[in-house]
Amino acid sequence: MVPSKENEMTMTKSPIITPQAAIRVRGLSKFFGPIDEGAIARTGPEFGTARDPLSGSIVAAWDVNFDVAAGEALGIVGESGSGKSTVLRCIAGDQPSSAGSVHLMCHDEGRTNVLDLSPAARRKLRIDQLSVVYQDPAEGLSLGVTAGGNIADPLTAAGWRNFEAIRVRARDLLDRTEVPLDRMDDIVRNFSGGMRQRVQIARALANNPPIVLLDEPTTGLDASIASGVLDLIRGLLEELDLAVVVVSHDFAVIEMLTQRCIVMQHGRVVEDALTDQLLEDPQHPYSQKLVTAARS
Amino acid sequence: MGYAAARGGLAAIEFAENLVQELRDGHPSSPLETDQVTGRLRLLVDRVMGEAGLWAPEFTAQALRQAEGDVIEAVHLLRAFKSTLPRIGISDVVNADDMIPERRIVPAFREPGGPQILGRSTDYTARMLSTTPRETKPKVQPAGVTPAEESLDVIPPMQRMSDVLRDMQLLVDRRRTDDPEPFDITRMPAKPPAPRSARLSTMARAETGALVGQWYRNILGPDGYLHEVTLGEVRHGAMPITVTHPVTRNPVKIGEYRVTEVEAIEDLDGIDEDRTLFDIGYGLCFGQNERKAIAMANLDIACHRDGQRSELEQSILMTTDGLDSSGFLEHLKLPHYVTFRSMIERKIAVRQARLQTSPTESKP
Amino acid sequence: MNSTVDEIAGPPHSVPFALLDEESKREIRRALLQAVCIPGFQVPFGSREMPVARGWGSGGLQISLAIVGVNDTIKVIDQGDDEGVNAVNLRRLITSSTGIEETSETDEATIVQSRHRIPEDAMASDHILVLQVPVPEPLRGIERNMKELERMHAEGDYSKMWVSLYEDKVRNGVITQTTGYPCLVAQRYVTATTPIPRWDIPRLHQAEFLTLFGAGREKRVYAIPPFTDVEPLTFEDVPFEVEASNGAKCRLCGSEETFLVETPGSESRWSCSDTAWCRRKRTK
Repeated sequence: MVPSKENEMTMTKSPIITPQAAIRVRGLSKFFGPIDEGAIARTGPEFGTARDPLSGSIVAAWDVNFDVAAGEALGIVGESGSGKSTVLRCIAGDQPSSAGSVHLMCHDEGRTNVLDLSPAARRKLRIDQLSVVYQDPAEGLSLGVTAGGNIADPLTAAGWRNFEAIRVRARDLLDRTEVPLDRMDDIVRNFSGGMRQRVQIARALANNPPIVLLDEPTTGLDASIASGVLDLIRGLLEELDLAVVVVSHDFAVIEMLTQRCIVMQHGRVVEDALTDQLLEDPQHPYSQKLVTAARS
Repeated sequence: MGYAAARGGLAAIEFAENLVQELRDGHPSSPLETDQVTGRLRLLVDRVMGEAGLWAPEFTAQALRQAEGDVIEAVHLLRAFKSTLPRIGISDVVNADDMIPERRIVPAFREPGGPQILGRSTDYTARMLSTTPRETKPKVQPAGVTPAEESLDVIPPMQRMSDVLRDMQLLVDRRRTDDPEPFDITRMPAKPPAPRSARLSTMARAETGALVGQWYRNILGPDGYLHEVTLGEVRHGAMPITVTHPVTRNPVKIGEYRVTEVEAIEDLDGIDEDRTLFDIGYGLCFGQNERKAIAMANLDIACHRDGQRSELEQSILMTTDGLDSSGFLEHLKLPHYVTFRSMIERKIAVRQARLQTSPTESKP
Repeated sequence: MNSTVDEIAGPPHSVPFALLDEESKREIRRALLQAVCIPGFQVPFGSREMPVARGWGSGGLQISLAIVGVNDTIKVIDQGDDEGVNAVNLRRLITSSTGIEETSETDEATIVQSRHRIPEDAMASDHILVLQVPVPEPLRGIERNMKELERMHAEGDYSKMWVSLYEDKVRNGVITQTTGYPCLVAQRYVTATTPIPRWDIPRLHQAEFLTLFGAGREKRVYAIPPFTDVEPLTFEDVPFEVEASNGAKCRLCGSEETFLVETPGSESRWSCSDTAWCRRKRTK
């Protein structure tokens, strides 16, 4: 896929559509404050900022495009302020987007732009079509509820009404995410960060969603804990046929989990390549800088 | 045997009513005259009228006598009485500047436009309990002129502090050009997000202590934050009430009532706010009830600035009415033995479940 | 032309039929009609100040007064007892302002106003049950913010309620909701069944009679029309449990088939909560 030019106001026309794309993102953009052509033209990597010096408006993300197929993991990498988390939150529905489209194969066979759906409809997608694992487990869990209860939440939302079946499913998921089963009935507030993250992952998988978004899943965890969680995630991705987007500033995470990735800087996509190729031979100066820093 | 289970509930009630009546109305002291209540307990009367939302001093005196001084009971009597009164009309819109001020203070400026009148206030009087009787026989007034009337002629015009700030371009302009119908809280319950008129009318007849407590908690409690408020106006005086005559269509003054009015100037220091400006909160209630009007003005602006971020508006709309809060609290005196029996049954069920639980239940 | 206020106001008013003026009654009835059209949905209304305090039945009273006609017969109970002092007070308010007949026999009544019980006798299509409601919001224990509560009902998003039932069962081994058990009405709205005991819940399901719920302090009404599904929220493998009495019998009439209340002591003594039913059984 060819990176889009920053100084073109028009959106990139739809490139080759991967026939089986589980997620199709086109022209996804997010602004804060009033935006005109000039604001787009005055921001981006060439200007070293996402903030328009004239109006003070922010072009947090502009014209982001990518496809993700089932069984595939795409990474979005960049420093903080690059817009990568913004993109994830717009797809998740945690934040309203400003422009663009997101088509999901699991919803209306990809015919509807989910960004046009009502907030209530977006919330319904989050039950069993699209899950998010947040950097801070407190954002994706109810801390005052037990580990099992946090999994019962999406299950009952999807219509599960059999208590034993819920217990069995919760046990399975906690087992798979390597949470000790004798802690199933402990409230999550009493868990360590790494353990909370595992519960969050178990909860995200409860209804077998076809799409999972991970936002800095191991940032904030101790290195030894983080590697355990990463191994877990990699194992799960290999086992399940999910379409995954992983956002991280850490190349180690991207390398371990993804096959393709896009690099973002100041709200723009600057490079889009296979993960291996990017790490071996980055093209864009910013990508080069990031890879060099990661290797040292 | 509880009173609820006994037959003859009507007899019990009637006995209680007779007992109250006998002891209240048959007390050996001199009967309390209406003018004794309205004249010598005027601040109590003002407070009750404010919470009832009904300006009717003589009826209020009666309510206080009947309620043996219980403020909430007296308010209830008046509000229930008001429910039976037909609405025969709506007054013309009131202009607060029509107030004939008996008292006016402006903490924000040393020399505001127009006078500061300390008026009838004990704010600067030492609180020394006097143990000797002070009530005197009524003074004989010189014919034709009362002291209040005399001083009225010489009061220069008062410039409202909000107008002064507006002229200095220091005030956020929230004036409207449309004229929406105010929200009628007696016809429809208000819930957040509510229009400002709903908030103000709720507070105008809220329980005085509840408003002061809500303000205090908002300032110093664990879930509030400090506001930098300076009072711009504290006024108390009489307002004329005017209606449009149904036949002639001329405005007709049909009476007077008194209000306390407060404008609270708030320093804007929030991230999304303009640091070069102030904003104003407004308070207005029946009679002379300064702490209520000040609390009201403070909470008005606090709510506006809060902008639905916290549950402040919900607290004000839903928990400051005296009849709602007292009624619900005191309903605990009603029999609850059906619920209690159900609770005991569940406790026994939990106990039995614990005895039966196998230790391996939550293990793989 | 000079007019006095009296002339403008019209002839002196006396207390209207059923305490409330016609406009108020109409407004309450309109709210009730909305409630009947949307079973289990809490309809806001302009709750009037009544001679009884908020929290003491002002909502139920307003409903009864709004629907009552000259040919109605009223029964009022509290905890199932016609002689409970609050029931007596409410009943005399209704009869004195309407002149209608009162009764303690459910069969003879057309309107039954009740706090915390459904009468034991079966009611039919010529009955209206009016229940007094302290807290109309079934989700109050798990969510405080009013806007979020509105959203949850609007979207039918009751997941927080299901999680709390799951946690309850896990922590306590049984679901420990006592009275006012949350029920799903017409497969759509979760409703607070006021503090009626679990014993009475099954009698709301597909009932022949109309049930109206009045919350005066919170200013809402809701309704369960006749022949409506009312399902207590529970897991399909966790049976809904009514209050067990372990073979206790009413010490006055010997009944084991009615809801009994206990007088605690060294020798536990049970009696029927529904005093009228009990008395009739004894005198047969």
